[in-house]
Amino acid sequence: SSGPYMLGTGLLLYLLSKEIYVINHETVAAASILSVIIYCIKKYGADVAAFADKLNEEKVAKALAVKNEAIEHLQTAIEEEKKEQWRVEGRSYLFDAKRNNIAMLLETNYRERLLTVYNEVKKRLDYQVALQALKRQKEQDHMIQWVERNVVQSITPQQQKESIAKCILDLKALSKSAQA
Amino acid sequence: MNLSFFDQFTSPCLLGIPLIAISMLFPSLLIPYSDNRWITNRLSTLQSWFLNPITKQLMIPLNKKGHKWALILTSLTTLLLMINLLGLLPYTFTPTTQLSMNMALAFPLWFATLLTGLRNQPTISLGHLLPEGTPAILIPTLILIETTSLLIRPLALAVRLTANLTAGHLLIQLISTAATTLLPIMPTISILTTTILLLLTILEVAVAMIQAYVFVLLLSLYLQENI
Repeated sequence: SSGPYMLGTGLLLYLLSKEIYVINHETVAAASILSVIIYCIKKYGADVAAFADKLNEEKVAKALAVKNEAIEHLQTAIEEEKKEQWRVEGRSYLFDAKRNNIAMLLETNYRERLLTVYNEVKKRLDYQVALQALKRQKEQDHMIQWVERNVVQSITPQQQKESIAKCILDLKALSKSAQA
Repeated sequence: MNLSFFDQFTSPCLLGIPLIAISMLFPSLLIPYSDNRWITNRLSTLQSWFLNPITKQLMIPLNKKGHKWALILTSLTTLLLMINLLGLLPYTFTPTTQLSMNMALAFPLWFATLLTGLRNQPTISLGHLLPEGTPAILIPTLILIETTSLLIRPLALAVRLTANLTAGHLLIQLISTAATTLLPIMPTISILTTTILLLLTILEVAVAMIQAYVFVLLLSLYLQENI
């Protein structure tokens, strides 16, 4: 494996010793530019290659990202669809509950209205009862007053004197019994 | 072979066949063109990573019509960059050291920007000859000065590129000659000179890249004014 190096060295020495290649000022210039080039390549070569690879990687990664995003999108869409299907199954329960709800509301409303009707009728009947009671009361009062008026009118002066004398006798008797 | 300092600037010839065409077109072989792959190899990736921001930078100040120039400006950048960098290798011929080539590049492109401006918007193009807000007394003088500066642009572009590269190459040759001759006489000075040579080489690499960019940048600026 030292063949190429032997060939290179031999060729170089041949060219130099036979003055086929003359060392002149251009040689020094060549040495300097070649050293600059070799230094740059040795120092930055790997970095530049990695950079170029990174550029390509980013390009591919961007496209892959688009693809993966689309796949994720579709996955979420599938899951959402499945959830919707499960929801459809539960729909009958939902409707039953709603139906029950509505029936309860109707019942409550009916009961309330029934109560209102009862209350109203009772109010009317109470009024009638009160009216009758009042009428009877008034009749009673009027009759009592008429009777009293007539009685008072019929008391003659004679009877008045007799009753007053009797009262006085009773009082005297009572006072006697009280003192004793 | 014994080289004088100016042999590197002679047009290459092999057995009487001028090789100038090959030396001008060879750098394009080193740049892979993009085939229809999505993920390219490292060289193509790096190349597009490098050229896309440059093109974007050049095309941002231009309006939509100016974007027609994107291809020629980008390829001009790449050509000049490759030619300049390859010229730093030993025993190579750099076509951009020839004034003829640089004039051939600068003059038609500049003239194209000028004619585009004069043809499509002559008032605005001529209006560039007088900067805004100049006092009335200076107007005639300033117009003459601006016209001169306008007409000298292609010459400036070409000569700038030629002079920078020629001077750089000559300096490299001179300093390396000094280092070679001083090596048997005063080895320490020789080593010092070699250090200077190394630094100069790094400078020349930078100059090569910058000059290519500056050339194209100025052309795009002239284009901005006129399109």
